[in-house]
Amino acid sequence: MRLFWLVLPIALVLAGLIHVAAVLGLPYVAPRSAWERLSALGEPNEMVILPAAAPEHQSLPMMAPDVRYAVCRFDISEGPVRLSTQILDDFWVIAFYTPGGQNFYTISGGELKRNKIEIVISTKKEAIFEIGANILDDIDDLIVVASPKREGVVMIRAPLSGPSYALRTELALKRATCSRKLTGLDRPAR
Amino acid sequence: MRSLLTFITAFVLALSLGLGSAWYMIANGSPLTTGHIGSWSVWYAVGNPDADPYTKAYLARTGRLPITSTSALYYHASEDESGEPLISVCDYVIDGEPIDAAWWSLAAYTGAGRLIPNKAGRYSFNKNDIIRRPNGDFRITLASSARSGNWLPTADSEEIQLVLRVYGPRNNNNAIKGRLLERFLPTIRKAGCQ
Repeated sequence: MRLFWLVLPIALVLAGLIHVAAVLGLPYVAPRSAWERLSALGEPNEMVILPAAAPEHQSLPMMAPDVRYAVCRFDISEGPVRLSTQILDDFWVIAFYTPGGQNFYTISGGELKRNKIEIVISTKKEAIFEIGANILDDIDDLIVVASPKREGVVMIRAPLSGPSYALRTELALKRATCSRKLTGLDRPAR
Repeated sequence: MRSLLTFITAFVLALSLGLGSAWYMIANGSPLTTGHIGSWSVWYAVGNPDADPYTKAYLARTGRLPITSTSALYYHASEDESGEPLISVCDYVIDGEPIDAAWWSLAAYTGAGRLIPNKAGRYSFNKNDIIRRPNGDFRITLASSARSGNWLPTADSEEIQLVLRVYGPRNNNNAIKGRLLERFLPTIRKAGCQ
């Protein structure tokens, strides 16, 4: 019995350590992360329109049925990536994620006050002016987003004001581009 | 022999206690990470790069890409206001006041997170397509057969969960993380069962 009282505190400390290890380790062992699911849908630096959420299919768990999503898995290890899209409404949201799903930057249509957006994603180390200098002549109102990781996800969320807006919204998202080419994409042909 | 047994018992105890408590705090949340307001629960820091390890573990388990908590909030409900689970054999009345946000949407899913098939093709109501009373209040009826007004169908689903997405909540700063919204969250009342 005396041994038990000796072992109990050790067991409790061990329980604490296991608790901490489990919580910290879960993100590394969790099955089917968003990054894995999106990797199966397209190549890096390519805009992918996710099919509208339906009872028989969702590209990601619990998508909003009244939001249309376009996704680009970016890889800036060989240089910056440019994202261009129309913004049809104030409540559109463009969100940037690390592969682990941390949303490090967000911008909404309401903050932009214009109907088109040009974003260059680059690493924090790259001199922003260096990138900007080459293409600033071509692009007005360029936004430079510094990514903490070399890979990540940018997701455009286009909420629908009602079912009748679906077609118009999907067409606008189809014109969105994500590319390694920094210039000459103002009127992409698709 | 007995001491070996003691050590094994202690180890099993440590393992189940450690894993069990971790599981509980990731699956259900705790006052540190989550809020429970009426039927609704919310992870206050989900998607945020500065989130605590519990919130990060929760996020990894969901496989979703939520917008960071300073720009959007996600409220989940799988119970009515009296704490009974939401089930498709019952009808529910969801009463809400205007939600001060750039956009919001209330969607119904099965317990497993699928959208519920229905002939009306209706899976949610949002800020712009909901029918309101003149004062801005709204009522959604969650039922398996057609209703007048804002009918959210629940056919062929055992358990139901609701998600209220609030994009661009107003009066939202980091200190309160949108908690002002919570006085205005809709109530979910059981209206009868088959």
